[in-house]
Order: sequence, then C-alpha cells, then structure tokens
Amino acid sequence: MSDDVNKSRRGALRVLVTGGVVGCGALAIPTVRFLVAPAMGGGGAGRWVKTLPFDALNEGEPKRVALIADHHDAWTLEKQVELGAAWLERRGTQVVAWSTVCPHLGCAVDRSPTGPGFYCPCHDSYFDREGGRLNGPSPRGLDTLAVRIEDGFVHVEFQRFRQGTPAKEPVG
Amino acid sequence: MGWLRDIGAFVEERTSLGTATALFLDTRSPSGAWLSRLLASAIAACVAVLALTGVVLMMAYSPSPQSAWASVHYIEFVLAHGWILRGLHFWAAQALFVLAALAILHGALVAAYRAPRELGWWLTLVVLGLTLAEMITGGLLPWDQRGWWGRVVEANIIGMAPVVGGWIGRMISGGAELGALGLARAYTAHVVLLPLPLVLALWGQRAMARRYGWAPGADSKSAPHIRLLGTSALVGAIVICALFAVTGWARHAPLEAPADPMSDYPARPEWFLMTLYRLRKYFHGSMEFWGTTTLPGVAAGYFVLLPWIERRLSRVVAILGALAIFGGAGALGVLAFRHDAADAQYVKSHAKWEKQAAAAIEIAKAGVPPEGALVMERRDPELRGRDLFERQCAACHVLGDLGDPKKASASRLDGWGTAAWIDAMMHDPDAPEFFGRGPYAEQMPSVDTPPKKPLPPGDVWVAMVKNVGERKAVSLFLAAEGDEPFDPPQAPLAPKVRADAEKIVSERCTTCHLYKGDGDDEGSGLAPELSRYGSLEWTRMQIADPSSPAVYRSKALDPKMKKHMPRFDKDLSASDIDILARYVHKHGRTSSL
Repeated sequence: MSDDVNKSRRGALRVLVTGGVVGCGALAIPTVRFLVAPAMGGGGAGRWVKTLPFDALNEGEPKRVALIADHHDAWTLEKQVELGAAWLERRGTQVVAWSTVCPHLGCAVDRSPTGPGFYCPCHDSYFDREGGRLNGPSPRGLDTLAVRIEDGFVHVEFQRFRQGTPAKEPVG
Repeated sequence: MGWLRDIGAFVEERTSLGTATALFLDTRSPSGAWLSRLLASAIAACVAVLALTGVVLMMAYSPSPQSAWASVHYIEFVLAHGWILRGLHFWAAQALFVLAALAILHGALVAAYRAPRELGWWLTLVVLGLTLAEMITGGLLPWDQRGWWGRVVEANIIGMAPVVGGWIGRMISGGAELGALGLARAYTAHVVLLPLPLVLALWGQRAMARRYGWAPGADSKSAPHIRLLGTSALVGAIVICALFAVTGWARHAPLEAPADPMSDYPARPEWFLMTLYRLRKYFHGSMEFWGTTTLPGVAAGYFVLLPWIERRLSRVVAILGALAIFGGAGALGVLAFRHDAADAQYVKSHAKWEKQAAAAIEIAKAGVPPEGALVMERRDPELRGRDLFERQCAACHVLGDLGDPKKASASRLDGWGTAAWIDAMMHDPDAPEFFGRGPYAEQMPSVDTPPKKPLPPGDVWVAMVKNVGERKAVSLFLAAEGDEPFDPPQAPLAPKVRADAEKIVSERCTTCHLYKGDGDDEGSGLAPELSRYGSLEWTRMQIADPSSPAVYRSKALDPKMKKHMPRFDKDLSASDIDILARYVHKHGRTSSL
C-alpha cells in the first residue's frame, strides 16, 4: 500500500477520533448541567410567612409555631404545609423569633430539659434563654429570624442558614 | 437429556464460555491463608444475595418522597414473603460490612498487603468503602425518620467542608433541602452507580489472588494448589442459611415512622457510623470538621500505605497500628451506644418514636393516601390527637403516658368524664390529681367534707349531698351528661335516681355552677356549666375558649389565675381542636385514675 493511502487513512481516522471526542464532550455538557442545576443557587432571600395573632403569644413564654406556606420540591407543589418552625416570644410590643433548626447540623431544637433555655437532642448543644451558645458543639447561637407585626398578626421571615459555621450565612 | 449436552457443546465450541466460567469459579489457587479464602467466599455470597434480593425489591419499590415509605411498608407487611426478601437484603448488607471490615483486619495481620499483592489489598479497602456507601444510600430509601434525619445531618457535615462543602452537600441532597431529587440520586447510586464498581472490585481482587495467592506464605509456584469451587459453594450455603436464620429470628427489618421534617426526632446515624458520631463529642467549633474527617482519613490512609509502612518501619508497627485503629473505632462505637442508653431524655424520645413507628405501620395496613405516609399520619385522629395533646396539653395535664404527674399543674385526665373520676373529684377537689396544684385550688369546695379553713363567723357548713349514695347518683348523672352515642354505655341510671340527681345539680350545685344556662347565684363567673359536661361539644368549647359561657365562663382567662388554661382557638384550626377534643374524650373515658 502506498504512503499516500496510509496518510489519507490516518487523516480520516484522526478526524473520526476527534469527532468522537467532541461528540462525547457535547454529551457531557447537558449531562453535567442536568446534574448540577439543582445544587446551584447559594444565598437566597427568605420568605415572609404569616403566623399567629400577636395576642396568642404570652410575655416571657417561648412558643413553637409552625411556619405554613406553599412548598416546592422538584416537581411537587404542596399547598399550605409546614415549611419549618420558629420559637416566638413576646417582648412587650415586639416579638423575637428563633429558627428551630440547630445551627450545628440541622436537627430540631427543643426547650432544654435542664434549664430555662433551648437544647438540641442530636449532639447535646445547649443554648441560653436568649438563644446564645452555652455549651456543646454548636458553632453559634440559635439563628434569629426577622419579624414584623401587621394587622395584629406576627409575620416571620422563613430562612435557612448554613450549618456548622460560626458565621450566619443564608442559604436556599 | 442428551440434547441439553448437545446445546452445551454447541455453545462451548463457539464461545468457550463453560471453560471460562469454570476457570473463574473453580480456580486453582495456592493453598494456605484459608481464612482469607473463607472471608472472600462469604463476601461473594453476601453480594450475590444482595444483588438477587435487590433486583426483586426494585420491582415493588417506588423512589419518591410520597410513596417510598408506603412502598417499603407494602413490601414488608403486605406482599407475600416481602419481609423475607427485605430481611435477607438488610442482614446480608450488615454481614457484608462486618466481613469486609474483618477482611481488612485479617489482611493487615497476615500481611496480605505485601508486594506484589498491593493492588488486591487496595481493592479490599475499596470493597469496604463501597459497602459503606451502599449502606448509607440504602438507609435513605425507606424515607423513614432514621434515614431522613441521618442524611440531613450527613449532608450538613459534608457541607462544613471549606469552599466546595456546601456545593457537594447540595449535590447529594438534590438542592438546599433533602427532597425528591435527593432520594432519586441516592436510589440511582444504590442500584447502579455503586454495585457495578463493587462487583468489579471483587472480581479484580479474586483475579489478583489467583495470580499471587491471598497472602504471603503460599505464593511460591511449588506450593500446593487447591480448587476453590467446593469450599466457595459450602461457605455460600452456610452464609445463606445463616441469613435466613437471622431474618426469621428478627422477623422484620427496621422501618421507622415516615420521615417528618417538622418532628423533634433525636437523629442518630446508622450503627456502623456511631464511631464517627462519638468522635464529634471531642471536637467542637472550627475543629469539628477537621477532627471528624481527618482522623478517619488518617486511619484509611494508614491502611492504604501499609505496604510502605511495613517496609519503612516494621511488621510489628503495621500490626499494632491496625489493631489500634480497629480497637479505637470499636471502643468509640461502644461508648456512643452506652452514652445513649444512659441518657434518660434520649431513651424516652426513642421510645416515643418507636411507638409512633408501630402506630404508623398499623394504620398503613389499610392503605396510604397518594399524598404520602406523612399526610396519612396527620389525618389519623389517634396519632394527630396524641401529637397535639403532647405539644399543647401535656405541659400541665396528664393523660395516659403523656404529661408528667410530678409537674402537672392541671387535672389528671385519665378517667375524665367517668362517674368514678367525677365522684372522686367532688369528694376531694383539691387532691393533687384534680385542682390542688393549679390556679383553681380552693375554688371548689368538697361536696361532703367540711373545709379545713375555719368558715367566716355566722356561716354554717352544709354538705351538698346527704350521703355517699347521693354523691354517686350525681356522679353517674354528670357522667351521662357527657355521653356521646358512640361511647361505650356506662352503668344505666334508673329514672328516679336520675331525676333526684338532676334536682340536686340544678338546685344545689348552681350556687356556683351553671346548669342549662341558669345558676351562679353568687356571680362567681368561674364554675363551669354542668349540662353536657364532658361531651364532645363541651370539650371542644373548653379547648377553644374556656371563657365561653358554655364552659368555664368569663373569669377563666383572668390573668390573676396564674397558669390558667389558655384558649387555643387562635393557635389551632377548628379541625385540630375537634381532633384534640375527641382524643381527650375517648382516652379519658376508656381509662381510669
């Protein structure tokens, strides 16, 4: 066989292989985007959720209140379900709200069985009555949520924060 | 049967399939290292059982948050022999993990890592890693409390890693929150992405062993060779028998209550991760991520580097290091379990969720609504009622196992609405189980016992009932006031007795109480309406607003009555109040003090 034929065969092969690689690369683009898309979107704004009437809260008595709104999960839309919860406490004409999500690793924070504050049953993080860190592994105190009172109802800004970091960074 | 042999010969002649299979299965391998061979055979048997049962389970499993728990429940409790298949799958996985870990420990002790076997040794480590990943992804599939909360915590632990942590956590969860995509991802990993490399790793390990023997000492060409098929088949048979025995003994592989992101579940990881769980106790704050990833990383790295560690240091160091890592991991795991067993709060919470799981499993046998098992739980009056009572009432009241009798400041509701409860309360209203420890103490006088405090001069104490017979008649009458058509019938009341009792109530009790809207001659505004006392409507009203004239009336919410019963109509929906009233009505009447 002549060198020319060999050369042209080699050239054709090169084109084919390059085409294959480019084709595979093209396939990778939608695949990667498809897989990565749900993980995108870092910091996001919270959602304002209407909760109880202001009078339903008692001075000095934190109350666990469900935050109810529409919930999207991929292709499902659930109308008016519990998105999360918050501890609400009346302070005069104001209301303080703490997220029930433990800043450590995300378990649900409850009233402390031993003291006046809060605690997380997963890794025994304790918080004082103001949500401040007492002891245990939590890197920061309970996350406060923004509150406003409108028409006699307490509105809470539902918001998740990154877990396990000393700084309070919004996510979701 | 000659034709079968003909077909076999036809295929063999064209493919050599039979010879290849025989070569693979019935390998002639250098003898020695018998424990390594047994472990390898047992591991292969477990993987075979997992693959077979796994494929069968896939035919009934549905990976979506709405249906995952329901489909696993269906497999476990409804489908014929589903519990056996799921049990075998579950126990084979536990066995595989233990065997894969033992294979590493044994390999480290007999120096199976030594050249030229490094590749086979690393594959042993890969098998354990993939097994771990299989168990973690598989644990999420039932979408129950343990699986869900375990994954949330694990994703958050990964999220603590600097820079890419948050992104990897979201890749695993399929978004900022663990939901439908996270489940689909775990499922795909569990049934396709992880099993393929696991089988490849086992195959590669076996190929390496055929070439070099499993461990030093049996590697020379002159060493006697043995055929493997016989022992492999025997070990496989023993493993399968053992798995059947354990499955039969355990009856049901674990299935907890459906995943509930709103619950106060005390999350714990799978048992084989309790070591890491315990490790977190020693590293707080910014050290936490490094402490709990670096130490396990160093341990894994130690095993990877064993071939060099032995060459550079010594065999003794290699063995001691391996023993220390296994011993340390085991000890931490034991510590974690002992800590939980001694933690009263955890034990109580754990028992509560076991009860919830048992209840959900029972209800689901009648079918799960398409919205999912969580909605099923929320709609069930019994579970919802219990949940509401625990959250809203149990801080002051006691009913059954809910509430703390030592801390209760309001009346005990066991037996509430029965004649026995009313009778005991009328005799001694300030007993600790009635009003004695709450704001209503000393508000109601006993109907037949003189007060301990001296009366104001000029007042003469008169018993409201002449004798025990009258007291009992009034109790029976009031108990009947609360009866609903669906209640179990109480002792029948003779018309004469009923008329007399009604006369006592409407004439004497109405000094303070109302009866059919009349009474309260002294204008106390506190003693409750007695007609329909304890009925569903009365109970609903009392929960919604105790200051309503049909129940405890205007003074009931007086701020001076510290810790008085609050009104719930602002916190709870009408349907929740109804569920709660039904719960209290039913459980009061079907129990006793």
